[in-house]
Amino acid sequence: MEYLQTFWAELPVVVQILLKIAAIMLPLMLTVAYYTYAERKVIGHMQSRMGPNRVGFFGFRLLGLGQPIADAVKLMFKEIVIPSGANKLLFLLAPLLSIGPALAAWAVFPFDAGLVLADINAGLLYILALTSLGVYGVIIAGWASNSKYALLGAMRSAAQIVAYEIAMGFALVGVLVAAGSLNLGEIVTAQQGSILSWYWLPLLPLFVIYFISGVAETNRAPFDVAEGESEIVAGFHVEYSGMTFAVFFLAEYANMILISALTALMFLGGWLSPFQGTFLESWFAWVPGIFWFLLKTGFFMFCFLWFRATFPRYRYDQIMRLGWKVFIPITIVWIVLVAYLKVS
Amino acid sequence: MNTVINYLRSLFLFELLRGLSLTARYMWRKPFTLEYPEEKAPVSPRFRGLHALRRYPNGEERCIACKLCEAVCPALAITIEAEPRDDGSRRTTRYDIDLFKCIYCGFCEESCPVDAIVETRVYEYHFEQRGEQIMTKQKLLEIGDQYEQQIAADRQAQAAVR
Amino acid sequence: MATSESITLQVDGKTLTAQPGQMLIEVTDQAGLSVPRFCYHKHLSVAANCRMCLVEVKGAPKPLPACATPCADGMEVATQSDLAREAQQGTMEFLLINHPLDCPICDQGGECELQDVAMGYGGDVSRYTERKRVVQDEDIGSLIATDMTRCIHCTRCVRFGSEIAGLRELGATGRGEHMRIGTYIAQSVASELSGNVIDLCPVGALTSKPYRYTARSWELTQAETIAPHDGVGSSLYLHLRRNQIMRAVPKENPDCHQTWISDRDRFAYTGINHPDRLKQPMIRENGKLRVASWPEALQQAADLMQATQPERLGLLASPNATLEELYLGQQLMTGLGSRNIDHRLRQVDFRDESATPPWLGCRFAELEQNDITLLIGSWLRKDQPLLNHRVHQSVRAGGQVIAVNPVAYDHNYPVALDLVVSPAHMVQQLAGIAQALGASTTGITVTATTEHQQAAAQLRAASRGSIILGTAAQMHPDYALLRRLAAQIAAAADLTWGQVGFGSNDLGAWIAGATPGYSAENKSAAGQNAVQMQQGECDTLVLLGLEPEADVADPQQTAQALTRAGVVALSAYRSPLLEQTADVILPIGVATETSGSFINLQGDVQSFIGATPPPGEARPGWKVLRVLGNTLKLNGFEYLDSTSIRDEALQHHTAPLPDNRLHPGAETLQPVADATGWQRIGGVPIYATDAIVRRAAPLQATPDAWDDTVRLHPNMLAEHQIADGATVRLTQGECSSVLTACADARVPDGCVWYPAGLPNGAQLGASFANNVRLELA
Repeated sequence: MEYLQTFWAELPVVVQILLKIAAIMLPLMLTVAYYTYAERKVIGHMQSRMGPNRVGFFGFRLLGLGQPIADAVKLMFKEIVIPSGANKLLFLLAPLLSIGPALAAWAVFPFDAGLVLADINAGLLYILALTSLGVYGVIIAGWASNSKYALLGAMRSAAQIVAYEIAMGFALVGVLVAAGSLNLGEIVTAQQGSILSWYWLPLLPLFVIYFISGVAETNRAPFDVAEGESEIVAGFHVEYSGMTFAVFFLAEYANMILISALTALMFLGGWLSPFQGTFLESWFAWVPGIFWFLLKTGFFMFCFLWFRATFPRYRYDQIMRLGWKVFIPITIVWIVLVAYLKVS
Repeated sequence: MNTVINYLRSLFLFELLRGLSLTARYMWRKPFTLEYPEEKAPVSPRFRGLHALRRYPNGEERCIACKLCEAVCPALAITIEAEPRDDGSRRTTRYDIDLFKCIYCGFCEESCPVDAIVETRVYEYHFEQRGEQIMTKQKLLEIGDQYEQQIAADRQAQAAVR
Repeated sequence: MATSESITLQVDGKTLTAQPGQMLIEVTDQAGLSVPRFCYHKHLSVAANCRMCLVEVKGAPKPLPACATPCADGMEVATQSDLAREAQQGTMEFLLINHPLDCPICDQGGECELQDVAMGYGGDVSRYTERKRVVQDEDIGSLIATDMTRCIHCTRCVRFGSEIAGLRELGATGRGEHMRIGTYIAQSVASELSGNVIDLCPVGALTSKPYRYTARSWELTQAETIAPHDGVGSSLYLHLRRNQIMRAVPKENPDCHQTWISDRDRFAYTGINHPDRLKQPMIRENGKLRVASWPEALQQAADLMQATQPERLGLLASPNATLEELYLGQQLMTGLGSRNIDHRLRQVDFRDESATPPWLGCRFAELEQNDITLLIGSWLRKDQPLLNHRVHQSVRAGGQVIAVNPVAYDHNYPVALDLVVSPAHMVQQLAGIAQALGASTTGITVTATTEHQQAAAQLRAASRGSIILGTAAQMHPDYALLRRLAAQIAAAADLTWGQVGFGSNDLGAWIAGATPGYSAENKSAAGQNAVQMQQGECDTLVLLGLEPEADVADPQQTAQALTRAGVVALSAYRSPLLEQTADVILPIGVATETSGSFINLQGDVQSFIGATPPPGEARPGWKVLRVLGNTLKLNGFEYLDSTSIRDEALQHHTAPLPDNRLHPGAETLQPVADATGWQRIGGVPIYATDAIVRRAAPLQATPDAWDDTVRLHPNMLAEHQIADGATVRLTQGECSSVLTACADARVPDGCVWYPAGLPNGAQLGASFANNVRLELA
C-alpha cells in the first residue's frame, strides 16, 4: 500500500492527471453504454415489452447484457459515409465539438468530499460555459451535412438550447445565491443539515425548472424536436454513420448523465446522506458518500427514461412558449425571492 | 371554479404525474412478448401463409389450369401456362407465383374450384437468391405433399363455413 | 328495302318497324333488344329447336320462339314479361340438365353463350339429381376438338355443314335423351371452312384443337388484322397473350367474308413461330453464312446490288407481300435503273403483258346472284374457300356452274357441266365454247361439240354470270390464251370475268407496280418477267418474302438461277435453298408483325397494323426496304410510316377498277401446250400456298394437306402395273423425285397430278409439263 502511494507520488504530474481522467472517463463510458441498454430495457418494460435480451456473453444470454458491447463494436466497424457536398473538416469536427464539452465538464465534479479532479472556485461557471458549448457541435453538424433535415434539426436545437440555457442559468443563479459560492463542493456542503435543507425544498420551483430545462438542453423526449424522427428523420445527425454517429450518441448520453449528476449535486445534496440529522445517520455512517451521490444521479437518469416512455413530443412552438414565457419569469421571481430571504 | 382547478392542476403538473404513474405501473407488469423462435403464437386454420398445390389421394395433381386464380389475383402474381397433357386432360405446364408480388389475400384459394391452390400455415420461409421468390409448380407441389395432412385438416375444420 | 311495305309492331313498349316476313328476332336484334338464343344465327336457316328465345306475343296462348315467328302488323311482344321469363328460365333449366359442370376445364369458359345466358336466366340451384348423360367423343381431325357431352343440340354446326360448307359431315342421330351430334361415318371433317363451327358452337362442344387449353378468353387482347393467305383478305381478330398469337377469329365484314373464314386463315397462325423463323441478319463469308449486324448486312446487300448492271439486277416478290413492301421494292429497282421486278412467280406464260388487272371482275357479293359461273382451271373450293362459298350460295339459289378443269375437282355443289380434259386440251375446250357462242377463238380452229353448244346455251341464257380463271389456269403454259378466250366468252355472253391468283395481294402488287410491264406511273417500260428471271438472266436477284423452292413456277430452274446469281433475300423463314444460295439474308416480319395493306380481289384496300413485334432482330419488311434504299443513297426513301408509303403507292390508282370486259385483246395467239407423253398436272394444294401455311402443323395434319403422293387414274396404274401406294419415281426432263403412287379417278387419262409448293416438288420443274415419266423406284 505504501509502495503504491510512493509509486503514485513519483509519477509525473501529467501522467497522474491522465490516470485520474481515465479513472473518470472509463466508468463514464461504461455507464453510457449500459445507460443505452437500461433505456431500452426500462422503456421496453413500460411498454409491456422485454427490451434487448438476446446478446450475452459466451453463449449465455444474461438478459441481453452484451447488447451495448455488440452495438459499440458494430458502430466501430461501420463505414463513415461523408455526403458529397459536405464540408469534410467541419463534418468530422462536429462530433468532437459535441462530445468534448460533455466530457470536460466532469473535471470539476466532486463525487465525494474532496474527490474531485480540479477543485476550482468557479466550478459552476465552468460547467455553465461547457454545457453551452455543446450546441456548437450540433449546429456545425447540421450545417456541414449539406442536408435540409440536418440543417432544420440544428436550427431547432440551437433555438431550443438558447431558450433553456437562460432558464437553466437562472435556476443555477438561485442555487448560488442560496449557497453563496460557485465552488461545487461548497454548494454541497452548504446543503448540510437534513434532507429538508437540501435545496430541492427551498428552491423547489428552481429544482423542477432546472431538471426540465436539463431535459430540454439535452434534446431528450419530450423536447427531442431536434431529432424529430417523424418530421425531420433524425435531425442534425441524419447524415452521420458509424463512429461519427456513435460519438454524437455518446455525447448525448454523457450530457444526460451530467445533467442528472448536476441536479443531484445542486438540489439533492450531492454525496450527503439522506439520513443526516435523523437517528439513522449513525447506522449508515459506513456508506461512502459517493454511493449516495450515485444513487441520486441514478434516480434522475431513470427520470430521463421515464419521461421518454411517458410523454409525447412537444410541438416546437410549445417548447418555445414554455421556455420563454413560463420558465424564465418563474426563475426570475424565485431568484428575487431567494435573494430577499437571504439578505433579510 | 373549474378555471382555478384547471390552473392548479396545470401548475402542479397533475396530468404529467398521472402519466408518469401509469408508465411506472406498467413497468412492473409481465411483458406480452413471445420469444419467437422458442415460443410461437397459435395459428388459425384460416391462416394465409405460403402457397401450396395439392394432389388428390391417388397422387393426381388437382390443378386443372382453369386460370381462375390467375384472373382473380389482384397483384397479378400468378402466371399459368397450360396445354393438354398426353392423356388429353387439361394441365398446367407452368404455375408460378411471385411471392414478392403476392399480397396473401387468399383470393386464389377462394376461387379454386378444385381446392388445388391453398395457402398453408407455413410462414417461416426466406429467399437467398434472386428468382427464388418465384414459386414454381414443382416447388408448390412439394410443399403441398409435405403439408398435406395439415392442409386437409384445416380445410376440414373450415368446411362448414367455406 | 321497300319502306312502303314496312309494318310496325310493339316490342316491350317500343315501336319497331319491320319488313313483312322478317322474323321477330331479327327486328329485336336490330333494335338492340336482347333476346336469349342458342340455335338462331343470322347466316343460317331457322331451326327453332333450342326454345331459348321464347317471348310473349299478345293473343298467342303460349310463348312463341322469336326466331321463328314472323312479324305481323300491330303485333305486341313482351320479351321480359313474367310469362316470357318463366318460359326462358324453364328452357334454361332443361338445357342445363345434361350440361356438365366442367366450365373450369372448358375452353369456352368465359366466352360461352350458355354461361352468359345461364347468368341471366338460369336458376341458382339445380333440381336435377339423376345421372347426367355422357356422350363419347369422336376424333374429327386436327383442327376441331370435341366434347360432345357439352352439346345442347342447337344444330348450328349441322346447318352450317349443309348450308355453308356444302358438306353434310356433322349430323344429329337419335332422339330425345339419345340425340347426339357426330360425324355420320367416323372420319375427320374435311371442309375447308370447318373451323367456323368453333365460332358457331354456343357451348364448348366444338372448340379449336390447336388452341385447346392454352389460354382463357379473359387473358387475351384483341388485335385486328387482314388474313394474308388468300385474295379475299378476310378481316381477322388475332387474340394475343403476352405478345403471342393464341388464335385467330373472324371479324365480321359483310362486304367481304361475312362472318366466315377459311381454316387456312384461322389456323395458319400456328406456323408463324416455327423454328424456321429467321431472327438475325446473315451474310455469306468465305462460302458460309454467318450472323451479322443489320448495318453490316444492309451494306453488303447494297454493295452487291450496286455492283450489278441495272439490267441484270432483278427482284422477285411474293404476291403475299404487303402493298408497301411491293411498292418500296419497285421503287428500289426503279431507283437503281432496273425494271426487272415481278410478283407472278408461278405464272409461266407472259405472252399477254398488256393484260387487265388481276382481279375478280366483280364484287364478291355479286357472285351469289349469278345464274351461271364458269370455272376455268380452278378448284375454287380449295383455292379461295370464301369465294367458293359465294358460288355455293348462287347454286343454292338456283344458279349453275360449268367447269373446264384438268382434274375432276370435287366441288361442294353440283356442277352442271364438268369438262375435265388434260391440260393440253383445255384451250380446245374453251375455244369450242367460244366458237359455239360465236365469239372470236383468237385464231384457233375448232369444232364445237354438243357439250360446247350446251355450255354456250347456258352461258347465253344467263342474265348474270361470271367467269373465274383459277390458279391451275394461271400456272398453265397457255395462260394468255385461256385468259383471252375467257375474255372473248365473257364479252359474247355478257358476263364478268376475272382471275383468282395465289396471293393475298396480287392486285396490290399490280397497283404498286411490281410487274415488269408497268410501273405505278409508267406502264410501258418492260423489264424481265418472273420466268426470265428464273431462267437466270440476272446476276443479282433480290427475293422479297418468298421461299424459292416452293413459291415459283419452276423450282429446279430457279435453284440453278439462284446458284449462279448473287442473292439478297428478305425472308421471314429459312429454307434449304435460301441457305445454300443467299449472299445476304435480311429477316423480316410476317404480315401479323408489320403494318401494311392488302388489296383483295374485289379491289378493297385493307390496311392493318402489326399485332406482335417480329421475333429477334427481324424487322417489318417496309422498314428494311426503306433502310436498304437509304443505304443505297436513293432518293425518296424518307418514309416515316407505312401509311405514307401506301398513300404514295395509291396516288395513281383510281377506284373502281377497270371493267375486265373492256379489254378482250385482239391479236391471235397459238397454244404451246403439247400433249406428247404423260402430262403433269400442277396447281397448288390449299395448305401449300405460302411459307406460313406450309409450316402450320395442324393444317398439315388435315386430309387436305398433300403428302408425297402423285395421283393418277386407276386405269393408268393398272395399265402400267403400278400398285396403289407403290413408291415411284417421277421424272421430268433432267430432274426427278421419289413419290408414292395413288389411285385417283378424278385425274384424266394420260396425266399425273402432282402439284407445286410441296417439299418433294423442289427437285422438279414446272408443275404443268408434258413428257413426264413415272416408273417404279
